Amino acid sequence: MQLKPFTFHSPQSLNEVLDLVNKLQDKKILAGGTFLLNNLRLLKKRGIKTPQNIISLRKVEKLHGISLEKNKLIIKAMTTLCELCESPDLKHNFQILKIVAKGIATTPIRNMATIGGNLTCRYAWTEMPTVMIALEATMHFIDETGKEESILAEQFFKNGAKSNKLFSHVSIPLQKQANLTYQRISKQSPVDIPLLAICAKSQNASKHFSLTRIAVNSGVNFAQRDFILEEFLNKSKLSKSIDEEALNHLDNKIYDARSDEYKQHMFKICIKNAIRELAL
Amino acid sequence: MKITLHINKKNYEVECAGHETLIEVLRDTLGFTGTKNSCNEGECGSCTIIVNGKSVLSCMMLACDCEGLEITTIEGLAQEDELHPIQESFLDKGAVQCGFCTPGMVMATKALLDKNPKPNKNDIESALDGNLCRCTGYKKIIEAVEDASKKIE
Repeated sequence: MQLKPFTFHSPQSLNEVLDLVNKLQDKKILAGGTFLLNNLRLLKKRGIKTPQNIISLRKVEKLHGISLEKNKLIIKAMTTLCELCESPDLKHNFQILKIVAKGIATTPIRNMATIGGNLTCRYAWTEMPTVMIALEATMHFIDETGKEESILAEQFFKNGAKSNKLFSHVSIPLQKQANLTYQRISKQSPVDIPLLAICAKSQNASKHFSLTRIAVNSGVNFAQRDFILEEFLNKSKLSKSIDEEALNHLDNKIYDARSDEYKQHMFKICIKNAIRELAL
Repeated sequence: MKITLHINKKNYEVECAGHETLIEVLRDTLGFTGTKNSCNEGECGSCTIIVNGKSVLSCMMLACDCEGLEITTIEGLAQEDELHPIQESFLDKGAVQCGFCTPGMVMATKALLDKNPKPNKNDIESALDGNLCRCTGYKKIIEAVEDASKKIE
């Protein structure tokens, strides 16, 4: 058999999930399975202990669905990337989610992978965190007592994407005036992991950048904002040379300094492309 | 644990362990060996089946997590002696060499054409982006999908 033995649990409701989470010591949550199953195989191959219990969220209705409520987009944890792409609610600033989700992995993976998994798996290279930070999203969790807690996505990833609570949904404010772009570079490899991904948002008023947010994921740390670049852009006019000028105003600490010269050059191209698109 | 899987429009009661993947149960327990097992990492697509109308990778699913889902494997396409138009097209267009990727390719194609009966080349390449072929160079496969879409139309 491919995996080491474990007990499989298939709760039908959120309360049942919370009961199991409280009761079981050694457990992992199963969402779409595209990370967990490979993880379990790898642990087996390396002779490392695997969890005794797997709790599937598939049958928990409350964790499925996308909706627009009071100017906020609500995406529940078990929404697949494919469902995100197909949602008719992704208009205005939410359209960037469709653009990004469509580029992740392959069609069958997108049919299985969930937004919850992409945000909480703790792999630093996943792409949705960057977008959520740019969109000023809030992540919502449920603790073992059923109490809901919220945290800004930016803060969640700054804290290392750690939580011992159950992720239930993400909420994203509607911002009709926002202008967004997403750029990434990757190398050819069996798994299409971006070397750098950047999601930039701005409201371009009177030919100036305004309320600019630059979220970057260079695979080194979790997605975070480049505050130095944001500050520069928010003081700048939209111009043809702004993309080139912006390269002198990067928070170099957050980009992967271990990369060779060519990769670092490509990072700058990626950032330039993002700013150029933002300035359009 | 005892579970019931709905495969190719029939119910199958199966005794399986919680940690058995769907492909293991399909092939080793139920004898649906048309679905192939290759990379075991969700990269090659040879294990592609259709679940609730969407192409998915059976090596990345737990069998016990599939109760209540509508599962279609390659064995569910042909009707007795009559091949499905997609299968016919793959043969007619020379899109099969070693044949190992073919069940996965056919299932991805079925999922595509059920949703989008008139796909363009980009749609086809996108729908099959999870299926690798080491033999054909993909050109014949794309032609087979285009041919199948005309047949089904």
